[in-house]
Amino acid sequence: MKFADIIALALRNLRQARLRTSLTVIGVVVGVAAIVTMVSFGLGLQNNLLRDALARIDLFTSITVMGPGTDALLALRDQSQDGAANDNGAGDSNGEKSDGAASPTPEPTPMPTRMLDDAAIAELQGLSGVRYVLPNFSFSSYVRFEGRTRRSFIGGAPQAIEYNPRFKKFLAGRHFTGASAREVVVTERFISWVRSKNKPNGNRRRRPGGPFQMAPTRPEEERAREANGILGKEIVFLIPREQNAPPSAVFGIPIIDASSSENGDFASEFGAQYEELVYRVVGVLKAEDGFDINNFMETDMFIPLDQAKEFRDANRDPMSRIGEFLAGDTGYQNAEVRVIDVAQVESIKEEIKKRGFRAWSLTNQVEEVKRVFLIVNSALALIGGISLLVASFGISNTMIMSIRERTREIGVMKAIGGSDGEIMRIFFVEASLIGLTGGALGVLGGWGIDRVANTLANRWILNQVGQVVRRIEFFAIPWYLSTGAILFALIISLIAAIYPAMRAAKVDPIKALRYE
Amino acid sequence: MAILEACNVTREYRMKAENVHALAEVSVAVERGDFVAILGTSGSGKSTLLNLFGGLDRPTSGEILFDGQSLAPLSSWEMSRYRLRRVGMIFQSFNLIPTMSARENVSLALAFAGLGKGERRRRSLELLDRVGLSKRADHLPSELSGGEQQRVSIARAIANEPQVLLADEPTGNLDSSRAAEVMGVLDEMRLRDGKTIVLVTHDRELADTFATRVIRLKDGRVVDGG
Repeated sequence: MKFADIIALALRNLRQARLRTSLTVIGVVVGVAAIVTMVSFGLGLQNNLLRDALARIDLFTSITVMGPGTDALLALRDQSQDGAANDNGAGDSNGEKSDGAASPTPEPTPMPTRMLDDAAIAELQGLSGVRYVLPNFSFSSYVRFEGRTRRSFIGGAPQAIEYNPRFKKFLAGRHFTGASAREVVVTERFISWVRSKNKPNGNRRRRPGGPFQMAPTRPEEERAREANGILGKEIVFLIPREQNAPPSAVFGIPIIDASSSENGDFASEFGAQYEELVYRVVGVLKAEDGFDINNFMETDMFIPLDQAKEFRDANRDPMSRIGEFLAGDTGYQNAEVRVIDVAQVESIKEEIKKRGFRAWSLTNQVEEVKRVFLIVNSALALIGGISLLVASFGISNTMIMSIRERTREIGVMKAIGGSDGEIMRIFFVEASLIGLTGGALGVLGGWGIDRVANTLANRWILNQVGQVVRRIEFFAIPWYLSTGAILFALIISLIAAIYPAMRAAKVDPIKALRYE
Repeated sequence: MAILEACNVTREYRMKAENVHALAEVSVAVERGDFVAILGTSGSGKSTLLNLFGGLDRPTSGEILFDGQSLAPLSSWEMSRYRLRRVGMIFQSFNLIPTMSARENVSLALAFAGLGKGERRRRSLELLDRVGLSKRADHLPSELSGGEQQRVSIARAIANEPQVLLADEPTGNLDSSRAAEVMGVLDEMRLRDGKTIVLVTHDRELADTFATRVIRLKDGRVVDGG
């Protein structure tokens, strides 16, 4: 018998017991919908954590390279003074082994020994598989804007920015015109500081902070209007006159709240010691959606790289002063090495480490997170799977009922030449149809539940937060979940049909046809 | 050579503790083109013999031969092909599938033979035409008279052109005029198409009217005509 005919027969059988078939299918629908809803929630969670990273593939081709920090410099100094005794442990950044005793760890992470200077950048640029290297500076300095002074994080940006994802989107304005231009590009973080001045006191909403910080919540046009409003305005950098203060003075340097000083009388207190440099705002960078892993200490503004380097030398923060005192130039703070092929990230990272730098990339972390989610999602699928298991008993039951009713029919089929295998196949196909229909409807049902739950959840968030947050997708149904769920339903149905189908095949035609 | 032959066939059934002999060492040969009537009272073993000929059952001992070849070594699947192609069965209670139209019932046998849809449609109408039912092709069995139902079942039995038709009390549920009609169709199959017919009945008159040979069974043994 042709397979198409078997399907036709199975369909006919199912149609004959419409109510029973529907109820059985509903059982499968519930099971599959449960699996889909559960797993899609897990996957949605995973996506929300990894989406920005996944969407911006450039995060995975990036290696952050660091030169020696102050701790490492201390170690270098110790080494040069005390000989090789403190080889491994002394410079450990956590300070656990500062006594310099023999390290129990078999292979401690080697400390960076190389300075991340221009020569190093050129060397990294020369590694095979590296597309480009972006050296990075950031330092903090006092700036004055419209009469208010604030300690700000200032970054140096190269003139060539075509590779740098950070500079892809300007909310207003443009990039600097040249390496020597007295021009500054600010971020939205800076704008929010500017705005905070204009708000009446006590009405400042605390921005949700931390790595889960929401994307800017106000409409883009409004933000762009504000950004345009500060284009062309002056930002005054306050550079200390007294250069290269001796290390003993470290504790003498007034350490004012680093991120946000609302202190208005700063100038009267320190003004005399500072030189003023006037910059003009030429561009406003658009904040990136979602959280930004790279910039947990968000930069307020960028100036041309060479100028930033000069400034940093003139305007060192206490830690880098120590570093400078100990080891001379500390080079760039870090550099972003952009790798051409994702698959090479690990090997290039190791190569960079071998050359004496500290290197870090996201790949490991992402794999780790994915592994955890695999476990979570499997557990969720298991819970959903239980309801499908229950449904499978429904399928068995339906099939057995149907065979009891159709014993005579099965007998007839055998008498006129139907083989055991053909009879079996009819019932397997019936079960598959139940499984496939239930699976497909279940996926649809799961999707529907997801949509409703998602809408409700977003509405709830809206009520809680009280403003328009970017709509969050709590659920994700990738193609492999939907097809997987349908396939799973199919397999379960086939398993449930094994016993009934065998029973059907074993029907004795003589008994089945005996005249009643 | 006999087309169907039973050699020393015994068929036992286990009923509770004791073995019941439905057939005991029966030897019967049916020649090609014969119209053989197997006559006997109920419990004589005549239906058991027919089921053995039809490949629905296997003997406890002895052999069934079709065209000189034993059915004993056939696998379950080969046996189903035997039922499909070699023999056609007709039952007292017609055994049509009640939810299928006359045409679909005939078509089912063709489907088991692997025919395509169009071919099936053409063949099934042709077969129904041969039993005089082309106008009732789309009726369900419940909309047909007993005689008509039995004619549909004859059309189904000859669908895959078997050489032998095995009829088990085909007129048992019919009044005499319908019975004559059905027997006429069977006889025509023999005369026109050269089919061999084995008829199981308890109606001596029917047997005498149509059969070329009568075999009597009693208590599982051949008492006459073997």
